[in-house]
Amino acid sequence: MRRPGVFNVLLANLRKVATEMRRYLPNTISTVVTFYAIFLMFFLGIQVLGAPESAETNTQYVIVSTALWFLALMAMQGIGWEITLEATRGTLEQLYMSPIGAWRILLARMVGTVLVNLLIIVLMLFLSMATARQWLNLDLLTLPILLLTITGMLGVGFMVAGLSLVYKQVDSLLQIAQFVFLAFVAVPLSALPLLELAPVVKGADMVRGVMVERTPLTGFSVFDWLSLGLNAAVYFLLGIFLYGRAERRAMNRGLLGQY
Amino acid sequence: MSAIVEVEGLTKRYHKRASKEVVTAADGISFRVDEGEILGLLGPNGAGKTTTIKMICSLLKPDAGRVLVRGIDTQRHRLRALRHLSAVLEGNRNLYWRLSVRENMLYLAGNRGVSARVARPKIDALLGRFGLSDKADELVNNLSRGMQQKLALAVAMLAETDVVLLDEPTLGLDVGTGLEVRELLRDVAAEGRTVIISTHDMAVVQELCKRTVIISAGRVVADERVSNLLALFATRGYRVSLGAPLSAEQERRLAHTFAVFAYGEPELVLNVTLEHPEDIYRLMEILRLERTPVEDLGRTQVDFERVFLELTREETGRI
Ligand SMILES: Nc1ncnc2c1ncn2[C@@H]1O[C@H](COP(=O)(O)OP(=O)(O)O)[C@@H](O)[C@H]1O
Ligand SMILES: [Mg+2]
Repeated sequence: MRRPGVFNVLLANLRKVATEMRRYLPNTISTVVTFYAIFLMFFLGIQVLGAPESAETNTQYVIVSTALWFLALMAMQGIGWEITLEATRGTLEQLYMSPIGAWRILLARMVGTVLVNLLIIVLMLFLSMATARQWLNLDLLTLPILLLTITGMLGVGFMVAGLSLVYKQVDSLLQIAQFVFLAFVAVPLSALPLLELAPVVKGADMVRGVMVERTPLTGFSVFDWLSLGLNAAVYFLLGIFLYGRAERRAMNRGLLGQY
Repeated sequence: MSAIVEVEGLTKRYHKRASKEVVTAADGISFRVDEGEILGLLGPNGAGKTTTIKMICSLLKPDAGRVLVRGIDTQRHRLRALRHLSAVLEGNRNLYWRLSVRENMLYLAGNRGVSARVARPKIDALLGRFGLSDKADELVNNLSRGMQQKLALAVAMLAETDVVLLDEPTLGLDVGTGLEVRELLRDVAAEGRTVIISTHDMAVVQELCKRTVIISAGRVVADERVSNLLALFATRGYRVSLGAPLSAEQERRLAHTFAVFAYGEPELVLNVTLEHPEDIYRLMEILRLERTPVEDLGRTQVDFERVFLELTREETGRI
């Protein structure tokens, strides 16, 4: 009974995210345009200011980082806005009335959001590559790396969700978070090795390794994979744990609904 | 008959963030609900109805006390207990404004683990029953408040739970829609579901509920069959038509003797509630003071509203 139930929750959330994206197509398009514009800015900057010998690599670096930033925002930030909105609309309480468990529904919502937005990311990648006439290395090896990176991102998503649940007015925090996330996906690990402990950074670094530097499977050590896997697992579990604490606090103070 | 919902000693205090003030919203609330019963949870604004409903739904953790649903402790086995519960809470009616009527039903059923294939025929049937078929593809944002309320009710029905909780189901509805919603609620009850309705709308209780739990300032002040309450108060209420106006002294004495009395000047009608049957003699003594002619004397038709006002007044002290 439990397993098909969870599967139906995932399908329902995928359907919801896709429906809303289709219904609010102008919104979707403007997000894509914004990110394309951001990419163009970096691209032109590299053309004008950067050293010509490294222009190619830099451009590719920027294409991948912009796409990862978009992914990070979708996976980690969107859920914060949604929780705040749903608490005031009364729908959050409906999610909490589900015998499947609200955290599973939120997880399904985040996974749905990521999956639907992956389509947009692919579109953006090709748009950017065509503009810059730079072709990235589209290797299947990216997939497992991406999967683990996203797992870590979902953990951070749960932390953001927990904060939103308890503190409600987290708009300004979410604005700042955007730039923290940008740092996570864009700062090269070689510049600041300690960042390996931060969420997402290791994954972003490895994705760029494959797509820009064309690192083959044999190019990564066991330690790279171990670090990536451990990072993902720790942040995911920590996220769910902290969300559970936030949830208990919210239930104690009557914060699931509006008051 | 066995109780399907048991509420035992629920207590909840809120700590207001700004003022550091502590509000006791529920203070040892206990009652039981039998299977198939429609219970009215009645009380004035701020009495603690929503707080109580939310604790039953396990959306709010009580400071003390517990709730059993089919014998399952809602705090210890939250998800298992939730299989038996669905609720329509007040507020913006618990719906997604950017989804259509049908999409809302599909999504909320999906979140309870029901597949679209299983849900679709049930949704069609419910939409028909609730008169929402022609609005199926309308966005909830564009629906009237009454329609939204009906949809929220339909969503709760779709969950097919034994117990349905409704917080102020007729709040903010116009007369016609209120009537329609009460009609639907009667329908729901006829299916044999257990329904707990919180409201301060006496018509809802009088029309739909056999039993009512009245709460005031976080405490249960009455737990009675609605008919009993009415009978109890009917034996105590008297209506006296007078042939001449009362003097100021008479009015003063009435106020001194009876907690509840009302006197209308141009009609010369006196309504009074006697706390003890012998009080009728004290009433007569006061009238005899000025030899006020009594043209008619009879029992009052009590409506529920007066019962309610008197019960909650006794609790909060005389106004
Ligand atoms: N989340 C909350 N935080 C602080 N105080 C609250 C909260 N919810 C309700 N209250 C207070 O608790 C009391 C009871 O409220 P409520 O249960 O909503 O009553 P009712 O539904 O009967 O109108 C009120 O004084 C209200 O101001
Ligand atoms: Mg209320």
